[in-house]
Amino acid sequence: MKKLFWLALAVLVASGAVAQQATRLRVFIGGQQRPDVMRKILDAYQQRNPGVRVEIEVGGATSDQQQQYLTTVLASRDPSIDVILIDVIRPAQYAAAKWSDTLDKYLPAASRANLLKQYLPAYAKANVINGQLIALPSFADAQFLYYRKDLLEKYNLKPPTTWDEAIKQAQTILAGERNPNLNGIGFMGNISEGTVCSFLLPIWAAGGDVDDDSGKLILTEAQARNSLQFWLDLMDKHKVSPPNMAEKAQDTIRQEMQAGRWVFGTLFAYAWNRFQNDADSQVKGKIGVVPLPRFEGGRSASCLGGWQWTISDFSKNKAQAYKLVRYLSSPEVSKVLAIEASNLPVFPSLYKDPDVLKANPWFADALPVVQAARARPVHPRYPEVADVMRKALNAVLARTKTPEAAAKEVIGGLQAIYGK
Amino acid sequence: MTRPQPRYRRSLGDLSERALAFWLLVPAGLLLGLIALYPVLRLVYTSFFQYQLTLGPEASFNGLENYATALRDARFWNALKNTSLIVLITVPGALVVGLGLALLANLPFRVKWPVRLGLLLPWALPLVFVGLIFQWFFDSQYGVVNDIIVRLGGERQFWLFRPDLAFWAICFTIIWKTSSFVALILLAGLQTIPKELYEAAEVDGASPFQRFWRVTLPLLTPAILVALIFRTITAFQTFDIPYAMTKGGPGNATETLAMYVRVTSIENLNFGYGSALAVLLFLLSMAITVVYLRYVRGADE
Repeated sequence: MKKLFWLALAVLVASGAVAQQATRLRVFIGGQQRPDVMRKILDAYQQRNPGVRVEIEVGGATSDQQQQYLTTVLASRDPSIDVILIDVIRPAQYAAAKWSDTLDKYLPAASRANLLKQYLPAYAKANVINGQLIALPSFADAQFLYYRKDLLEKYNLKPPTTWDEAIKQAQTILAGERNPNLNGIGFMGNISEGTVCSFLLPIWAAGGDVDDDSGKLILTEAQARNSLQFWLDLMDKHKVSPPNMAEKAQDTIRQEMQAGRWVFGTLFAYAWNRFQNDADSQVKGKIGVVPLPRFEGGRSASCLGGWQWTISDFSKNKAQAYKLVRYLSSPEVSKVLAIEASNLPVFPSLYKDPDVLKANPWFADALPVVQAARARPVHPRYPEVADVMRKALNAVLARTKTPEAAAKEVIGGLQAIYGK
Repeated sequence: MTRPQPRYRRSLGDLSERALAFWLLVPAGLLLGLIALYPVLRLVYTSFFQYQLTLGPEASFNGLENYATALRDARFWNALKNTSLIVLITVPGALVVGLGLALLANLPFRVKWPVRLGLLLPWALPLVFVGLIFQWFFDSQYGVVNDIIVRLGGERQFWLFRPDLAFWAICFTIIWKTSSFVALILLAGLQTIPKELYEAAEVDGASPFQRFWRVTLPLLTPAILVALIFRTITAFQTFDIPYAMTKGGPGNATETLAMYVRVTSIENLNFGYGSALAVLLFLLSMAITVVYLRYVRGADE
């Protein structure tokens, strides 16, 4: 018995010593970000770096749920997580709270500029806050206009380039089909992040924006009102969207479009694979994708999404974490993510890569959209900015506020956040 | 011949019994201090600071500024109004429905378990789960509520994004969920009432209504009070059900205080102001509890 005890103790000590030798890194990603593919990518890294073991911690399914948990971890300065995959809207917040280890200390100015040049410009911009490099991009995302190819062909219509065209086409098809279950233009209107993009799209499509490069608020009340009025008109004036848009979440639109109930839908990239590959999809091969429409005299604009790798400032292995982040944000990994997880690459060249196109032929159409995508306001108090915008659109769609009243509140709310 | 009881043993026994009680209570006291008292004190402490991570990780003392901000904050008053209305409607609502259920469950059924199971089920369901279920019930397009209305020849209603309808849908859900809790407490109270009292009342010629009014209700008062205290405190903290059903929408029309505290602290990272809001919510719950306890003590005397 005694012998057994000493043996057990020896094994314990020995395994402890082995564990001591290897550097352990912990990577945090969301539940929807394909932990299975990420594991493969990290296994490859471990093979090349024998001294390093990388664990994955999988968080909630949505950006909000993940951040709720991360806020607890980071606000308590917990060192257990080394590398975090964050939403494109967060680097400013991470910089302000000093949660991120800035990457500049590992990258001299010249090589930083060289590195950032390779990515899609929007991401190079989104990850530099006040001149500091906070994170490096993992994969891209953007909002697209999905449309029913079969229905547009039936009525001899070309995919719309302006919102007026889109509305007219939807009206033509709805009048011709006489199908009570078919709707025209789907967009997000519930209280969620997607509704922030809905609010911003008409503003961008008309050539406006919320703030300028110096971070000054430039949105006018008239622009905000026009945006709110535009979405309201789709329901009440043009009758191309049903009257209950205030309860539509992104995935509700996706499910309904998949069941053949929308002509147009403004959705992020993930919808494509669901339309093509889900067993219950009624629209396999019937969906086309184009850049979001613009207004007459404006420009086409999409809402930029995407995910970034940042190093926790509380990590105890920052140098090793940096090496890992460089690997995870490399063209090699971007290609694996594109092929195995259908994530849009952050390197323009990969959109022409034959292997990538073989797995995702539609990526060829996606590049111009991602290149034209606009970033939501970059501001440390972004969650408050977003709350003002999504609540305003939601209230207008629920018809509890007029576009005039809601626009006034948007400007008032934003001025309080930006400072006049 | 009795052996003389050694004196020291008794006094030492006494002492050790006290000491024992003390030492046995220490862990519970420490635990309570650690998980209840410390966070509350820390919350109050934080509420005196300007501490918003999106402006930087440093905190600076700003006295009662956060409280002054709250008093000027229209969103705070709106949340307070919503919370108070939920308390005013769902607490009496749950009491009336719960009392009915308890009386029903107390009837001498031959098979008791179906009624008791029916009572336990809503109580055992997690709050968020209930919120999600009723969100589907009240969905304007796919919900069963509208389906019934349309089948009966009525008009489709936008339950969750008309502010008044959303409010009533939330209250209905809360009453459905919490009345079983009230019923369980009242059922326990009902079973402590001796049967002889009813027999005596019947002999004296009391009608069923008089028996309920003169016998059941007075003897049930302590149980009712307990149920009311618990229900009121949880009603002030209402979060899960409106969060799952409307996220506070449309706009902020159904946002409660607890939801505003969460948005301020967890999403906006404004811990100072969020703490002040939480302290105000805490004070409100405490005030109500004190009023109830006063009343209980008065009733006892």
